[in-house]
Amino acid sequence: MSLPALPRDWNKSESFKAVASFTTPEKLAAEPVGPGFLGHARRILRNRTFSEDER
Amino acid sequence: MSKTIIGLSFGNTSSSVAIMKDGVLEVIANQDGDRAIPTMLSYAHGDEYYGAQAKQQLVRNPKNTVAFFRDFLANSYAKIDVSANHRSAHPVEDSEKLVAFKVVDGESEHTVSVNEIVVRYLKQLHTAANDYIGKEIDGSVIAVPTNFSEQQRKLVAELAEKAGLPALQVINEPTAALLAHVSRPDIDAHANKLFVVADFGGTRSDGAVIAYNGGIFTILATMHDLELGGRDLDEAIIEHLAKEFEKEYKVDPRKEERAMAKLAHEAELIKKTLSNSTTTQFGIESVASGFDFSGSLNRLRFEMVGRSAFTRIGDFVKHLVAKANVDVLDVDEVLLVGGTSWVPKVSSVVSGLFDSERTVIRSPNTDTKAIDPDELIARGAAIQASLVSNFDAEEIAESLQPVVTNGPHLAKPIGVKTAEGVTEILAINTLIPIRKTISIPAEGDVLIEIVEIEREIKVETVKPEPKAAGEDEESDWSDDEDEEYEVRSRVVKPGKTLAQLGITANGKADIVVTISKDLKMQVAARSGSEHVAGTV
Ligand SMILES: Nc1ncnc2c1ncn2[C@@H]1O[C@H](COP(=O)(O)OP(=O)(O)OP(=O)(O)O)[C@@H](O)[C@H]1O
Ligand SMILES: [Mg+2]
Repeated sequence: MSLPALPRDWNKSESFKAVASFTTPEKLAAEPVGPGFLGHARRILRNRTFSEDER
Repeated sequence: MSKTIIGLSFGNTSSSVAIMKDGVLEVIANQDGDRAIPTMLSYAHGDEYYGAQAKQQLVRNPKNTVAFFRDFLANSYAKIDVSANHRSAHPVEDSEKLVAFKVVDGESEHTVSVNEIVVRYLKQLHTAANDYIGKEIDGSVIAVPTNFSEQQRKLVAELAEKAGLPALQVINEPTAALLAHVSRPDIDAHANKLFVVADFGGTRSDGAVIAYNGGIFTILATMHDLELGGRDLDEAIIEHLAKEFEKEYKVDPRKEERAMAKLAHEAELIKKTLSNSTTTQFGIESVASGFDFSGSLNRLRFEMVGRSAFTRIGDFVKHLVAKANVDVLDVDEVLLVGGTSWVPKVSSVVSGLFDSERTVIRSPNTDTKAIDPDELIARGAAIQASLVSNFDAEEIAESLQPVVTNGPHLAKPIGVKTAEGVTEILAINTLIPIRKTISIPAEGDVLIEIVEIEREIKVETVKPEPKAAGEDEESDWSDDEDEEYEVRSRVVKPGKTLAQLGITANGKADIVVTISKDLKMQVAARSGSEHVAGTV
């Protein structure tokens, strides 16, 4: 597996292009169980991002 | 001091208690040495028995033996199904139109409400757990079926508290089972997977399709069959034994309650033995009219007499997958739960529904490292118990609020285009917010194109190769030989492009995709000292 080469016509002065937003997500209920969920709850309740949470 | 919190699996047929002690997960054995403890109480000579000792009373003292009562909690008598109770104490209606049992407890007859029965039973489990752990128990995490109502969950917690086991949290059985499974040391707890959890118990079957992404469990669909379980396999063997007995002695044992209780007892033993061996002998003393009855049964015969139950088990899983709107080819793993999952035919029927190259079936018959299916739920509840044991009630309540649990989940997988096709970064049904990093080999000026992934189930009709002359004549089943058959495959391809990044790489590129609470997607790529990032 590897990343493809940059196309020839790529404008090098521009390194990031936003193209479209992802499909509207669906509201579902996560199970309040397991270490993953506790991390999620902590971030939501303390209004922290992933990087803030790691500090 | 850390608190001692047990995990409790409270089943209609049997219950288990587990505890995480010094980082080691243990399922407790009671004084009878049982880890799957029959959910039964029996009253004889003024004493109360529970578990296997109560179950033994089903032959001699069935009217004072209370069994299969958990599902009656918070139900009106008019609505309950009593078909599992015909060989034990009969449920009656109490003054509040709820369920109760009439038992002779001591000298006189008492009407005991189902709530009181539950408290008494849980007290017995409490004592057993206390004896085993050697410490006072501070609380519990209790697992119940996904279709238990809020009212039933509240009631279970209330009754557990009366039994000295205040519930810190009441959780769903399939999620508990899955938590125990992904906590196995040889399983990658970080891998995203789509699971089918199928729980075949004693009186009922329950199923859930659960997405496990970024360490979060999300239930996509559930199914219940309250008239399908190990009991149906027992009944099939009972009927077989009754027929054989009648043939041999010209006496119909079905007319005698006690004879049927004896056959029922033996039938379950036979069934359990046939999970390990391909044949078994049995001997029952004085079944009916004083006749002893002995013989043998092999697994093949058992699978024949139980055929209709096995067919229903297969259909149950098929319908469950369909209900989640996914294809069998989307399923990464099937976790078989419940005592009936020990039966080899159950795993073979379920395995037959899936593509063995694609889907891993987790059961004792298909996976040597599988956790005992009747211990999964208690183990998972105990893991959760250890996670929340240092939280106070308020902290737990806070994390259960809808603003925390209800969240947006990705409607399409997100990935990156590669020279070969597309690689997934975030799976469908991933809870947002999320952050995920992947590394991909890259050299020179490369394009990182973040896309949505489209998956398609391709169905191809294959015509068998024409046979060389002469080959056909030897075939036993030439009828099917030339028939076309379908080959189904799951293919993924890049869909809508979301973002493009250009970077000069040397060796590999690390790509970080972060989706924030306000649904902004940030993509960052790094290779050596090069760094590119942007937001969509
Ligand atoms: N080794 C075995 N082989 C076959 N069947 C078994 C084995 N061990 C237990 N069982 C069956 O499993 C059933 C009990 O399953 P489990 O312990 O999961 O019960 P449960 O969840 O309490 O059931 P319920 O569906 O009534 O709520 C019984 O029918 C029992 O005979
Ligand atoms: Mg069960």
